[in-house]
Amino acid sequence: MKLRVWWALARGVLLESLRRKDLWVVAILGMIIMAASGALGFFGVDGLQTFAKDLGVTVLGLFSTVIAILTTARLLPDEIRNRTLYPLLARPISRFDLLAGKLMGAILATWLAFVILLALTSVALLMFGVRFEAIMVQYALLKMVGLGVLCAVTLTLSAFMTPSAAATLSFVVAFGSSMIVRGLTMAYETSSPAMQWFFKFINSILPQFGLFDIGPRVANENWAPVPLWVVGGLLAYGVAYAGGMLLLAWSKFRSQAV
Amino acid sequence: MQAIVTEDLHVRYRAKNGQNVHAVQGLSFEVHPGEIVGFLGPNGAGKSSTLKCLMGFVQPSAGSCSVFGLPAGSLEAKRRIGYLPEVALYYPYLTPLETLTLYGELQGLRGSALKRAATDLLEQVGLGQAMNKLNRSLSKGMLQRVGIAQSLLGDPEVLVLDEMTSGLDPIGRKELRELLKARQAQGTTLFFSSHELSEVEMLCDRILLIHQGKLIEERPIQALKDELRQFEITYQGAVSLVDLALEWNELGHNTYRARFSDKHNLLKALDRVQREGRAVVDVVAQEGSLEEFFVETIGRAA
Amino acid sequence: MKTAPIAIGLLAGSGLFASTLRGEVEVPKHHAGPNAHETHASATLLGQFRTSVSSWLWLRTDLYLHNGVEMRQLTEAERRRGRAGVGNGEAGQDALHDDSTIVTVVPSKERDFRGFFGDIERATKAYKPMEGHSHNDPKSALPLFRLMTWIDPQFIPGWTTGATVLGRERSDSAIDMGIELLKEGLEHNPNSPSILSELGRFYASKKRDFAKALPYLRRAADLPVRADQLDEVEADGLTSAYRWLCLSYRELGRSGDMYRAAQRGLQLFPDDPLLLRCAADTPYIFTEKGQREWIEQSISASEEHEHHGHDHDHGHEHHDHDHDHDH
Repeated sequence: MKLRVWWALARGVLLESLRRKDLWVVAILGMIIMAASGALGFFGVDGLQTFAKDLGVTVLGLFSTVIAILTTARLLPDEIRNRTLYPLLARPISRFDLLAGKLMGAILATWLAFVILLALTSVALLMFGVRFEAIMVQYALLKMVGLGVLCAVTLTLSAFMTPSAAATLSFVVAFGSSMIVRGLTMAYETSSPAMQWFFKFINSILPQFGLFDIGPRVANENWAPVPLWVVGGLLAYGVAYAGGMLLLAWSKFRSQAV
Repeated sequence: MQAIVTEDLHVRYRAKNGQNVHAVQGLSFEVHPGEIVGFLGPNGAGKSSTLKCLMGFVQPSAGSCSVFGLPAGSLEAKRRIGYLPEVALYYPYLTPLETLTLYGELQGLRGSALKRAATDLLEQVGLGQAMNKLNRSLSKGMLQRVGIAQSLLGDPEVLVLDEMTSGLDPIGRKELRELLKARQAQGTTLFFSSHELSEVEMLCDRILLIHQGKLIEERPIQALKDELRQFEITYQGAVSLVDLALEWNELGHNTYRARFSDKHNLLKALDRVQREGRAVVDVVAQEGSLEEFFVETIGRAA
Repeated sequence: MKTAPIAIGLLAGSGLFASTLRGEVEVPKHHAGPNAHETHASATLLGQFRTSVSSWLWLRTDLYLHNGVEMRQLTEAERRRGRAGVGNGEAGQDALHDDSTIVTVVPSKERDFRGFFGDIERATKAYKPMEGHSHNDPKSALPLFRLMTWIDPQFIPGWTTGATVLGRERSDSAIDMGIELLKEGLEHNPNSPSILSELGRFYASKKRDFAKALPYLRRAADLPVRADQLDEVEADGLTSAYRWLCLSYRELGRSGDMYRAAQRGLQLFPDDPLLLRCAADTPYIFTEKGQREWIEQSISASEEHEHHGHDHDHGHEHHDHDHDHDH
């Protein structure tokens, strides 16, 4: 029953995303960039396979992050602003179901955009003569889990702040969390015990988006696929983190006057 | 079991400017099953806050409200209510049919039954031709029809309608009235807010008038109409009706006019004039203005 | 993986590492001064975009040479605590370069406080212990140099380093390609001491055609510049131009011109040991033995620097001086 409700809500989000032009603009932009890269290879700069893969995963990561955040950040606030929330909440569904369904829709829309971009990138990479490798499937799967977590973080932030603030903070977290973690690992050894405890705390609550990106292994040569226990661990972490975010959003939204 | 009950309902919230607003202050009323009740009041009186409480969108600060004895906002209560929000835009990139399909699924409808219900309702509200166009291409009135159709999904026992005629043209209003009357005939309870007093007059069994969050009038519409109706007789010959009439004037040429607010006094006056052998020239019934009543009552309360 | 004893930091010049958070390689400054795409607002935006892309490409070259393993500088605090870079690890320092101040961005398990998250990162990122590490063939980065010079023709190190990578191939065709690349760069940057110097060096060192080297080196020396107005890369380029100019004059038997070029060079770079030597030790290098030794050692020092000198902390041209002091 719940799944049906979530799916109904998610399908609505997905349909809207599909019909909104911005999703396609991003896809077209991705296609142009990848085609340009392909043309570059075509016109004679040989040996750019590593660069092409690197550019591909960079563009994919960048665009899919933008799509995930922009798709999700406005979902909840737009429902309130346009009063479309009322007919939804008037139905016999809980507010948690509403959030879960919206999140599912945002994730599906983001995944769809990602798959489109992935397909375009793959075509461009083929033009460079890049061969298919098993690790690329892992890259796509883990990236999709990471995007799901990003959607959950953005949805939660949008429950607490304006869409633009939520989007901005999501971008900061998405692109900055890896840098913060990097900074923590660099400074840990030379910090006081109190600071070390603080670093551990920060590290435990920060979304570890960087872990879901195995782009550097894909782009460079001769890296083995990621072990299955790591894939499983990341999947469990992603589901747990997204679930936690959803609960946090619900704690704010459950009794919020709308 | 009453369809809707509020008991000493209070709603307080913090406005965007930081001030505390006491939107509803001890509101108590009941709506009987099968009744059509108009919920009236000036802007900011607390109508929407009350309706939002009924739907569970806002939690009461104190007091309670229930639907068929079920706590307002509970899933069980919401299964029995259809709701039309005030000026909703609906999803611009979905069609009316997709919009109703979405809401229907959330209502628990499935498959062909859902499709049939959605299609029938859209045809009933006059959107048969437009059900597959995107909502963003529809006019305000058409979107309001989408809203009305979605509120009727699942044949709810209670309809809560906030400014239901907003954006509708006269034909649309008439069609809506007929639709709602037909629903009432099937046993549906209607509770709606409106600023259109003529709609209220034509549709309601009863009105609730609130001001500054408090109930200041509660009256069956027929009784109110009777109360507001005035009668006037014109007769020839000197017969005093001062003790019965609101106003009594001599028009000249031995002709007099008297005005009554009460039908019984009118009958007594006619009897007296006829017993005195005077000629009754004219008897006129004047329907009273709900708007004047509204303005006067609010004025008194303010 | 083919071992290639050269790293891009060296190729670009010296002292390119900085203690930034990412901290792998600092992008050299782009050629100073206005150019065609910096005169209007939109053109400026385009110019900045091109600069950013070429800088990004520059950083990627270092990453590719480490096969995707991100490296960073040791922080000051880490240095104070005596932490060593990967070059001083158990595996022993690679004889071909000194990475004594860089470490992997992703810490090793022993140094990582993150436990599970750390294990995951080491498994998902391009990570491996880099002690005594080798590099990918720098030739694999060649297309990137071609790309960055297309995107931003004013990015001097793109031209010079790309040519240097080509020049490592000792075949005539590769050397000719390097010269062509530099000539193309010169068309876009006619007043670049680095490109002129590199062209001169290619002719003098690779082709042993000192007569052809002279016009480029003289042109570099004749540029109306002051040393303190040049950025680090171009200052190095100009120093190099004077050195190769002296060498070329000497090879062509024009000792007087060599002496005068050294004197001019010393006016700009008064502390340059090689120029000082040229000016001061003239009697010695006028002898046949002195000439032969001086030329051989200069060429050898230059090539050694080009192949081996992965020293991120010291100016690469200074290797030449050290060899000369061995007399």
